[in-house]
Formats: sequence, structure tokens, C-alpha cells
Amino acid sequence: MMDVGRHPNIVLMAYSEVEEIAGYVGNFTVRVRKKARYVDEDECTACGDCVEPCPVVKADEFQMGLSTRRAIYIPFPQAVPSAYIINAHECLGNNPIACGKCREACEKDCIDFDMQDEIVEIKVGAIVVATGMDVYDPTPMDEYGYTSYTNVITSMEFERLISAGGPTEGHLVRPSDRTQPRRIGFIQCVGSRTALAENNPDGARGNPYCSNICCMNTVKDSLLLKDHYPDTDIAVFYMDIRAFGKGFEDLYMRSRAEGVRYIRGLPGEVEEDPATGNLVVHVENTTTGLLEQHEFDMLVLSVGAIPRQETDAVRQLLTLSRTGDGFLMEAHPKLRPVDSPTRGVYIAGCAESPKDVKDSVTQASAAAARVEILLNAPTIKVEAITAVVDEELCKKCGQCADACPYSAIVWEKKQVARVISAACAGCGTCSAECPYGAITMRHFTDQQIYAMLDAFLAEDPQEKFIAFACNWCSYAGADTAGTSRLQYPPNARIIRTMCSGRVRPDFVWYAFRKGAPVVLVSGCHYADCHYISANRKAVERVDVLWEGLEAAGVRPERLQLDWCSAAEGQKWARIMREIEELRAAVTAEEIDQARQALQEAKIPKRSRLDKLEKPTPATMRCYRCGNEWAVVFDPHADAERMCAACRSNSVRVMIDGEL
Amino acid sequence: MPEDDIIDVSDFDPNFRDEIAAEPGGEYIRRCFSCGTCSASCPVGGVTDKYNPRRIIHMALLGMRQEVLSSGFVWLCSVCYTCYERCPQDVRIPELMNAIRNIAVREGRIPQTFKTQVGQLRAHGRLYEVGDYENERRQEYDLPPIREESAQVRQILDDMDVEEEAE
Repeated sequence: MMDVGRHPNIVLMAYSEVEEIAGYVGNFTVRVRKKARYVDEDECTACGDCVEPCPVVKADEFQMGLSTRRAIYIPFPQAVPSAYIINAHECLGNNPIACGKCREACEKDCIDFDMQDEIVEIKVGAIVVATGMDVYDPTPMDEYGYTSYTNVITSMEFERLISAGGPTEGHLVRPSDRTQPRRIGFIQCVGSRTALAENNPDGARGNPYCSNICCMNTVKDSLLLKDHYPDTDIAVFYMDIRAFGKGFEDLYMRSRAEGVRYIRGLPGEVEEDPATGNLVVHVENTTTGLLEQHEFDMLVLSVGAIPRQETDAVRQLLTLSRTGDGFLMEAHPKLRPVDSPTRGVYIAGCAESPKDVKDSVTQASAAAARVEILLNAPTIKVEAITAVVDEELCKKCGQCADACPYSAIVWEKKQVARVISAACAGCGTCSAECPYGAITMRHFTDQQIYAMLDAFLAEDPQEKFIAFACNWCSYAGADTAGTSRLQYPPNARIIRTMCSGRVRPDFVWYAFRKGAPVVLVSGCHYADCHYISANRKAVERVDVLWEGLEAAGVRPERLQLDWCSAAEGQKWARIMREIEELRAAVTAEEIDQARQALQEAKIPKRSRLDKLEKPTPATMRCYRCGNEWAVVFDPHADAERMCAACRSNSVRVMIDGEL
Repeated sequence: MPEDDIIDVSDFDPNFRDEIAAEPGGEYIRRCFSCGTCSASCPVGGVTDKYNPRRIIHMALLGMRQEVLSSGFVWLCSVCYTCYERCPQDVRIPELMNAIRNIAVREGRIPQTFKTQVGQLRAHGRLYEVGDYENERRQEYDLPPIREESAQVRQILDDMDVEEEAE
């Protein structure tokens, strides 16, 4: 850490907050609020004379509240810069009647109560997000008695107790009577591997994922204990010990060889003996099927990791995505693990998922190397597939800027929209969104797509159906079906777009007007959209189209929606078979009727679903198999709609009654 | 090991878990990862080692249909919902036990106690006979006397064919 502070090319801005990030790859402008620390960090020598006279005593956050600090303090001994800081919310202020004692004590006169927050603007070419994680608070799991029983502590608190830099200088004591505990129990998976369900709707009792680090942390703690206090009796209650990394199994075996007892079974109840402060753990040893009682002097809850509270603020600053567990999403889980979907922004460490030191270092090194590659190139290459605004046609409405998942379109009121080519990823969602046809998507222009539709539907249109397939998943899924030699009806005419978000509602309308019996829009699964969230736009547009077709008297089932990944060749073949069945059922009269009706009818501007603000009772109707089921539809839930019966995604939300 | 202790897995019914999952209340049985939180929390388990919800679920998942249905242990759950609250996988054990009980009932496997209880219900409209002694005690506490009103309960039992289903 000291090296970072001293490095000539690193500007360290501690106690600062990023307020705004503008720009794009190679050209970011970051606005940082340097908060007032009320101590001149260049002058302060960290002598500590100011601490003694400070009358404000607070729990020390770094020591997990196990010791105290003053309102003027250093967050932890190795903190960089090595300078004191005043917590303005705790300090009694510089009113000489109230206090100001630290100022009197400081010989170098470093303390300045008039210091103000400073706004700094810096220009950077790339950004690495390494905002870390928080730990789970086990208070809601009342069966373990954390905060009710003094000697039940978390693994983080244990870490401070056994650390040489901790409040006891590494002498292990238990909180109630500060004696050395002879019998210590560890409970694993506290706050991890717990389903979000009826008894745990908001994750207060834990999160569904494995937190990755807790098993090995406990194994390490047990070995530390055996090293420092060989007589300590240690029991670990676990479901599965996940010792999968290099050398991990070895460490686990060493811990077992040292006599640590690993007992498979999660305790159901912890009781405290009020007289001694000892804890009785009730557990079923699932390997024998027998109930056991264990008495301990101290119990450590091996708590899981949770996303940092501020992750959402960071996500919004940089338009990043989060995975279902709340951690930041990488551009690709296997092939681009430290890239974010936004070019020039990288992620490392526990901001991405819970991980240990080694994995964090690996990821940080990878992210640094990715930045190096980017910044050392004299120019960057951008795919030629980008959007271009026709300034003559642009009506300056700004809808394109709202639709762009990358914030690559700059628009201000009464100004023509401007695409930043370096930031544009080429999904084409803006082009599909523009009501005036003012945005050309290079290589996937409207003219090209209309020409394909014309050609496909010129002869015997009733024999074919149109399938829009996104480049990354659905089209690749069709490829997989082909290379696997899967058999499926050959009636599809596939139009490749970069993203399902490129499919302009007019394309679908046009296809029906030209006599297409069925149209399919397909793209990546929700979690896999290669353009952050552009496929959600496809769903919105299909909703609009279903309503428009219905209003025009055209069977909405003739427009189908499905998600198919590159690996799902089988699924692609199945979709093709199912849609061919639908196509065969469309009569010549129906096709003619649609031809006529859609000449006149207009595509609605918005879906009725747009008016929904809060969860509303609705009927889900599958347009593939006809299955129907009742749900409470949450307009803000970002979840794939899927039919439980036929597993298709052609599911329409029907809201009963007026909106 | 004596031969009786060896279980012949060919007798297992691999569809038993699906049968339970199809029963209202049993839908979540497949979620169980056998952590033991339920059995360690269970107040019944503290009294008798015959009832161990984790073990029952594990046996059911393995397909030990005969053993699960014929032994009386599924009837021991007191439906206190402690495990329901604590289960990390939301298996909903009390409701699961009810689902297994319903399957057992359909096959006529009901412990005698429950049959007796149905008889009591039919006779008295409640699970015990209310006599003068009970009402005198109630009077001591200023509680109104209760009368036996078994007709309606009997009607419900008749409509539901409870005994018939139990046969």
C-alpha cells in the first residue's frame, strides 16, 4: 500500500467519492469529491498528539467495534496517506467553548476546521472498478443468537481478535469475560446457500450463492488456533467443505490431522448458559443421524459475502449490469471475465463476485493488463457496425439516447443526436427506436432488411416464416443446430441482426403485409444479452406489436418470441418445428386479411404495460401452446417470461380490466 | 454386517419423489440438501429419536417408499413450523409431512391413534368428551360452559367420507 502511495504515476485519492463519469473509452471525465478531512494531509506526521485530548469516543469500524477510536483518528495503522482525519459528524466542532482541543495539541497546526470539500475533475482513458464487498449480518438468524449472546461472534470479529494488529494484539479472548476460550465452534454457510423464498423474501436470512471464501477462512482460522493454542478444542459445523483451490485440500487435511473436528450438519439452535456465558449448540450429525449437543466457550459464525451497498450507485455511474446475486456482471463469464460490457471499463475483485486474495490479485492483474493493452495502442479499432444519425431527418426527440444501453448517444434538448462511435457497440436498438428512421445501422440498414423481406416473401410467402435471429445467440444456435446435423423444417427464412433490439416493429408489420404467415423474433437469454439490456427492448416492441395486431384483427399468436443461446441447437430445432406447426395452421384467408388490415392499421406507440407502475395481478398467456396462468406481474422485475408447459418465451402479459 | 441390515436398492421407487412433489405441500422436496437444520431445530426430535425430518426427506428422495409410508414417523411432526422458518432451502417441511401423510392415508396406512381421534370427533364434535368436570373447572375461571355439538362435525365427516378414505 505504501508503494501505491509513493508511485509517481499513481494518484491516490482516499476519502473521496466519484460523483459523475462522462465520456467514453479513452476519454472519460471523472468528477471526484475530495471530502474535507480537516487535517492537512501533507503536513500531518501522524504523531498522534491530537488523539489524547479528543473527548469523543466511538466504536472503531476497522476493529469491527471491538475497540474504540476518537473523532480524530487514522482508519487503520497502515492507512495511506498516513495522516489523521476528523469525522465531522462526530467532532464537537471548533467552537472554543465546546472543544477544539485537538487543534491546541497539534504543534504543526495541521488542523483546519474551515476545510471544504473539493471537486476534482480528472481525465482518464480507462476505469477499473474494484469496489469490494460487504459481509452478511447474521442478526436475523436468531437461532444462532448473534447479538443476544455475547460470545457468539462473526468470522470478521474473530479475525480482529486473532490478528496481531487487533484490539488484543492477537491474544485470543472471548468477549464476555476476556478469558481465553478453550473450546471454539465454527458454523459454516451463515448467510450463504439460502434460497430467497417465502421464509426469506428479502435475503435477511442469507443469499442463494456460495460465498466462496468462508470454508477456507475457517480452515485457516482453525490452523492459526492450533498453532497459537494447541490445546484448543475446535469443532466446525458444515454442509460441504469446498476446498477446491490449489493447496486448499492440503490445508483442510492438515486441519483435520491437527484434531479439528469437522461435523456435518448445520446447528438448529444455540443456547447460552447465563452463568458461564458458554454456548450449547444443538446439531444433528448427519453422518450418524444422531442429535448431538456441544458446549463451547465461544462460537464463530462464518458469515458470507454480500455485494457492497454502494454497488448500485457505481453501476449507475458507469451503466454496468449486475447479475442476479447483486454483484457486477462481466462482459462474458468465461472469455472476458474482467471486462465490463462498456468498453474501457474493467472490473476486478469482489465487486464481481466473492473471492479470495489470490483470485482478486489474478483479476486485478488481468484488469491492469487489459487497460495496458488499451492505453498503449496509438489508436483503437471499433467495429464498423455503428449507428449514424442523419442530421436532416433527426427530429431532436432524444428517444434514441434513452434506448442506448451504452449511453453512446449524446443528446440535448433541441439538439441533433450525436453517436460517439468509440462507445457505440452496434446493437442497433437506437435505430429501431427512432420513429423517424433517422438512424442508419451500418451493415444492417433498414433498406437491407426490407430487401431481404421482399426477396423472401416474393414467391409463395404462405410457405415460409420469417425468423429474426440475433448474431450472438440465436443465429449461433441455428449454426449449432446445423453443424450438429439436427433435422428441422426448412421453412424458416432467417434474417440476422446484431441484436434482437435491432428489430424495428415496422419490419414485422411489413412482413405480415407481404404475406408472411408467422414472424419470429429471437435473441439471447436475459442474462446473456451481448448488449447489456438491448433485448429487453425487443420484448417491449413485441408487446406493442401483439397489441397492435390484436387491434387490427390479426391473430397475435402469429408473432412469436424466443430466447435461444449459441449452445441450444436442440432448442433452435425445436422452436423451428413448433413454429412450422403454427405456420401450417395459418389459413390463406388469414394471410389475406392481415395483408389488408395492416395496410391501414398503425403500430401503437406504446404498450399498455407501460402504464404499469406497481405489481399488478395479470394473466400470462403462452402464444405457443395456449397455456395460461395467473401471476402478480411486476413491471420492474427484470425476468424472462417463460411458459412452464412448453418452455417457450412467447408469453404475453394480459392485464385484466382498465389501466 | 447381518444380511437384514443391507437395503436392496432395487426395491426403491425412484418415482416416489415425483409422487410427493405432485401432492399439494410436497412440491419443494427436491430442494433439500440435507443440512440438518430441521432435525436440529425440531422439538419432537428432542423427545424421540424416531422423528428426524432430514432423514425422512432423504429416505423419500432415495425412493424408500415402503419404509417411509409404513413406519409411523411422518405422523410425529407437531407442525410447529420451526423448521419451516429456518430451512435454508425453503423445503416447507410441515406441509411436506402433510403431503406424505395424505399419500399414506390413501393407502389406508393410518396409525390407530388417528382412527380413534376420528371416532372421538364423530362422537363428541371435538377430540375429547366434555363433561361436568370440565365445565365446573371453566366456571372457576369465569368461562362459559361448552356443550357438545357433534351434529355439524358429523355432517362434515360424512360429506368428506373421512372414514371411507381411511379404510
